[in-house]
Amino acid sequence: MAILSGNRTFSGGAHPPGQKGRSCEISIQPGPPAKEVAVLLCQHIGVICEPVVKKGDAIAAGQKVGDSQAFVSAPVHSPVAGKVKEVALRSHPVLGRAMAVVIVADPPDERPAAVDAGRFADFDTEKYEQAAILDASREAGLVGMGGAGFPTRVKLDPKGTPKETLIVNACECEPYITCDYRLMLEWTDQVLAGVRLAKKASGCKRVIIGIEDNKPRAIEVMRDVCRAGADGIEVMPLQTKYPQGGERQLIRAVLGKSVPTGGIPPMIGVVVINVATAAALADAVVFRRPLTHRVVTVTGGGIDRPGNYYVPLGITAGELIEFCGGLNSQARKVVMGGPMMGLAIADMKTPLTKTSGAITVLTQQEIGSAKFAQRQTACIRCGRCLEVCPERLNPTRIAHAVKNNLLDVAQDYYMSACIECGCCSYVCPANIELTGYIKTGKIFVARQKKRMPE
Amino acid sequence: MGQTNKLEIRVSPSPHVSKALSTRSVMIDVLIGLAPALAAAVYYFRVHAVTLVAVCVASCAAAEWVCNRIRRRANTLGDFSAVVTGVILAFSLPPALPWWAAMVGGCVAIGIGKMVFGGLGSNVFNPAMVGRTFMAASLGTLMTTWTVPATVDPVMPKVAPQRLDARTQATPLAWSKTAIKNELGATTYNRQIFGSTVTGEVGGCLGETSAVALALGGLYLLIRRTINWRIPAGVLGAAFVFAAAAFVLDGDVVSEPSRQWLASETYVQPLFHLTSGAMLLCAFFIATDPVTMPLTGRGMWIFAVGVGILTMLIRVVGEYPEGVMYAILLMNGATPLIDRFCKVIPVGGKPGGKG
Repeated sequence: MAILSGNRTFSGGAHPPGQKGRSCEISIQPGPPAKEVAVLLCQHIGVICEPVVKKGDAIAAGQKVGDSQAFVSAPVHSPVAGKVKEVALRSHPVLGRAMAVVIVADPPDERPAAVDAGRFADFDTEKYEQAAILDASREAGLVGMGGAGFPTRVKLDPKGTPKETLIVNACECEPYITCDYRLMLEWTDQVLAGVRLAKKASGCKRVIIGIEDNKPRAIEVMRDVCRAGADGIEVMPLQTKYPQGGERQLIRAVLGKSVPTGGIPPMIGVVVINVATAAALADAVVFRRPLTHRVVTVTGGGIDRPGNYYVPLGITAGELIEFCGGLNSQARKVVMGGPMMGLAIADMKTPLTKTSGAITVLTQQEIGSAKFAQRQTACIRCGRCLEVCPERLNPTRIAHAVKNNLLDVAQDYYMSACIECGCCSYVCPANIELTGYIKTGKIFVARQKKRMPE
Repeated sequence: MGQTNKLEIRVSPSPHVSKALSTRSVMIDVLIGLAPALAAAVYYFRVHAVTLVAVCVASCAAAEWVCNRIRRRANTLGDFSAVVTGVILAFSLPPALPWWAAMVGGCVAIGIGKMVFGGLGSNVFNPAMVGRTFMAASLGTLMTTWTVPATVDPVMPKVAPQRLDARTQATPLAWSKTAIKNELGATTYNRQIFGSTVTGEVGGCLGETSAVALALGGLYLLIRRTINWRIPAGVLGAAFVFAAAAFVLDGDVVSEPSRQWLASETYVQPLFHLTSGAMLLCAFFIATDPVTMPLTGRGMWIFAVGVGILTMLIRVVGEYPEGVMYAILLMNGATPLIDRFCKVIPVGGKPGGKG
């Protein structure tokens, strides 16, 4: 159906079942109160923060607890008032173990207030200077909340190549996740305010909000407010296909242009920000609120009470799961993020970060029996991975080169251009963890170049 | 969290879900695609078809099982690839072949064609074609004795204008070669036999005679996207263009009061080349073996066009009436080179190059 809609898209990609029905009609609720939070010092791409507080310090809500002098970095803040218990290692979804500032809430935190939807009704961009917006985005510790966590201040930087087009990523192509969808429906004014601020800060002339066509209500709601504003913000429905919300695929779909391999969108005059980031930007600029809370979708067959929650960042995945009724007996895998790109966690005490848009708890049935048993068979060279690769790579060649420790061959087949979307592993009939091998290969290369510790 | 501890929670790299697709389901799809041709084979060749397919499948499976045991590897019969090889091998054999010959062929196909390379996915050449080549080289006339379909009346055979042996008959392709050599004229032959090659009521290898059945199965695989459309398009397209060029360049316009048509004394009509011999079996089921064909789109075109042209070169210029087997093996051999030559370039161009 989507193919017949005439909406734009990119070439390649896959159609994993959407599974958004569990949580898409549940409005954003306040999450659990924070008794203790562990604010990880690395929640973004770039230089890891140094703690700026020490054990025993009294902390106010929203106070900065970690920062870095580097340009490509973003400070981290405490969501609660309290006392620093320690600066210690905590589980990190990507790095394994990483330093975190652990704060005990005092007085005990109340449940984060439900956001007043009307507070951005009389928002006016004219009140805010470009420099002030940029400073606020840095000070509030804003990072891309879609998953990668690239510092927003760096992304919006108006210097260098002139920015022409701002694309707002409202695709939410990852199955199961509905947090961005709820944001658009419920916090529409805030999202729009953030989009306008981002436009002003980056100096873009054109703004396009890209939404997958499986979210007709979001398209309608955003179209209505954009029409009322009459400042040339355009809503573009896009085909429902994974990974439509990949930055490079989104640009390809919306503008028909390709970001050079190894390059970044500003090289072709484009800035892409996620709707959640836009909403956080509005909060940061208008109310001076740092990024300490976000909407997280808790979903999957392993959860009995799925929903979308506004939670303080630094509480653990386990706390949020317990708040949603705990894991049921069918739960087999706990994933931070969605099923395609999310990271499976073993430690339920892993703290939530700025990029944790969802906790997806999968059952054996959802995972699929072969995948669950991790039964990999020989590659039959069927070429399905090449067909679905949105970056037009040769996943089987790269993965098998990595498997046989031929890193030079893997790089020769453009391993670094892989966006790790997971389409190749998803379609593989032999059930080979192609994306897993490619990720491993990238880490090996980074280690060889001494960019990553052993 | 008490309850959580009792659960078995797993970790693995993303993605955490997968499409319901397995090597076995792909192979079963191919078997479904082969079913119409199998039905046609049973209809035309009766007990020969049943025996041959059963022996080939059994010997292929047995060879795979034994090889895995010798190599101390896990049993791989569950992926059904040996069954597919067995059926395709049986389809490419003369119907009246003795069962022991088919058994030898099946063992060679899997043992030499597949397992010595390391099993499924590692073989360079199409296992069924390796088995068949071995048999063609060592069994002599057994491999060129063609049975008349059981539906053909042996007294008044409508497929051949001459008196013939009640049991066997030349294949249409072989016959066209002889006919041309004997200056009987290819034109007379064409019209009589073309219809039979479409339905399959002709002599030939077990599963290759019925063009309709093969096309039906091929269509199923195309719709299911089990095979890549480029392969049949390339093979059939190239063969047709080659045959058409030969036919048109050599042909003369024949005029009759009522109509005019093109006729060639040396070459048969191009469409005939597509419906006869193993051309359709090759285009839909043999050349499309993913293991032995290139991975990239451009590579697939080169491979498919190569198979089509080589087949036609052997048929039209060479001594053999049929060229599919050698064409496939030659292009299989070229596949690693083609893959290396036709590297895909990422969407964003080569790194460091201009966008």
